Amino acid sequence: MHTNLSHYKEILIKGIWRENPVAYQVLGICSALAVTVKMSTAVVMSIALSLVAAFSGLIISSLRHWIPSNIRIIVELTVIASLVIVTDQILKAYLYDISKQLSIFVGLIITNCIILGRAEAFAMANNPADSFVDGLANGLGYSMILLAVAFLRELLGSGQFFGFSVIPQFLYDMGFQDMGIMVLAPGAFFIIGLLVWLKNSLPGVSHEKK
Amino acid sequence: MSDNKKSFKKNRIYVVFFALVIALVFSVLITTAATMLKPLQQQNMALDKKTNLLEAAGLVPEDRKPSPEEIKQIYDTHIREVHADPRGQILETPAGNSLQLYLIHTDQQVQGYIVPISSRGLWGKIHGYLAFEQDGETVAGFSVYSHSETPGLGGEIESNWFQDNFKGKKILNASNQLVSVGIAKGKVENLPDKLQDHYVDGISGATLTGRYLSEGLEETLTKYETVSIIFRQKKGSQTNVETILDE
Repeated sequence: MHTNLSHYKEILIKGIWRENPVAYQVLGICSALAVTVKMSTAVVMSIALSLVAAFSGLIISSLRHWIPSNIRIIVELTVIASLVIVTDQILKAYLYDISKQLSIFVGLIITNCIILGRAEAFAMANNPADSFVDGLANGLGYSMILLAVAFLRELLGSGQFFGFSVIPQFLYDMGFQDMGIMVLAPGAFFIIGLLVWLKNSLPGVSHEKK
Repeated sequence: MSDNKKSFKKNRIYVVFFALVIALVFSVLITTAATMLKPLQQQNMALDKKTNLLEAAGLVPEDRKPSPEEIKQIYDTHIREVHADPRGQILETPAGNSLQLYLIHTDQQVQGYIVPISSRGLWGKIHGYLAFEQDGETVAGFSVYSHSETPGLGGEIESNWFQDNFKGKKILNASNQLVSVGIAKGKVENLPDKLQDHYVDGISGATLTGRYLSEGLEETLTKYETVSIIFRQKKGSQTNVETILDE
């Protein structure tokens, strides 16, 4: 049991931190640019993507002995697309406002490289439980970056946190201005770039052999 | 064993069979989810439309989120869906090529009217409402309930600062000609004085959304001009909902 637990912990740490999908594998950048203007959309996107990654891993891994290898990508995509559509439907039914703001990006989880990447690289070769944890770990790793980027963009771009103004008025009176570029895509590029740099320059995480 | 597995996975009939089963299972899953959640989604959509209608009319408290019952109650007491024939006559029921609009009333006294907007956007259609005061030329409010613009850029057409801009704008120029209301490129205060009444602040990074929405608004307002003329003729006088419908 103990070995099992530390085994899952290993997978989690790998997905969330050491091989973080955004910062290390540089996958999923498109949506990381798009939905990180505000915290609220980033949170829902993170949850949706983590769940889809975890369950697609679980399902694909359970089927891996029966999936014919020449149509495996199509099968993986069928599984992923179905899960994404169901997620989208659930959001529309229970979180209508947020689903309106996320608009096309929930649908675009289908083409998110993280999910297909994990399905191909991990779920096809490992058991269902491991694949579930791996999908979840990568989803959380993605979420971590997404939330960090959204936090900085919302704070610097609109002076808000979850829609509440947090920059005190006297700073504006002193001439502080919201950074318009943070609301635009280039702002996300800068922040993601800086985060990747920061993460990879922390001691002990660099994968580059010097 | 593994050789066995390999061979059955290469069998063409098996591949086709597997593909069919997968397709069937997942289409059943999607259909079930979509059918079961449909009533809830439709409720959300209907409520969202009503909320937006009321927002355009300025009947929703802005500091808090009203409950669904509250929305329904305000809607029932203040809004009346009507139609207008091509000459601008207000009818109770749709006829031929009549246009849909909504009357805003308090105790049956008409306060203004709301025109549904359907405009081209950058990525898809923009649907919303434009409310007018009873004089038929002053914009009372604007709201959007469905669009596919980029969140944070064109998507800002949903935000309060953008929609609040429309309040008090005029769709007629000094010589009483229809000029519609447009979205400026940048801030309105940088425009010449005589244009400031007909433009709202633009969204930075969403020039195209602004341009398409301006075009859409102008198109809609041209179509509804006959209705607006009817309201302009009544300028100032109190009108009962029933009298408007009888005329």
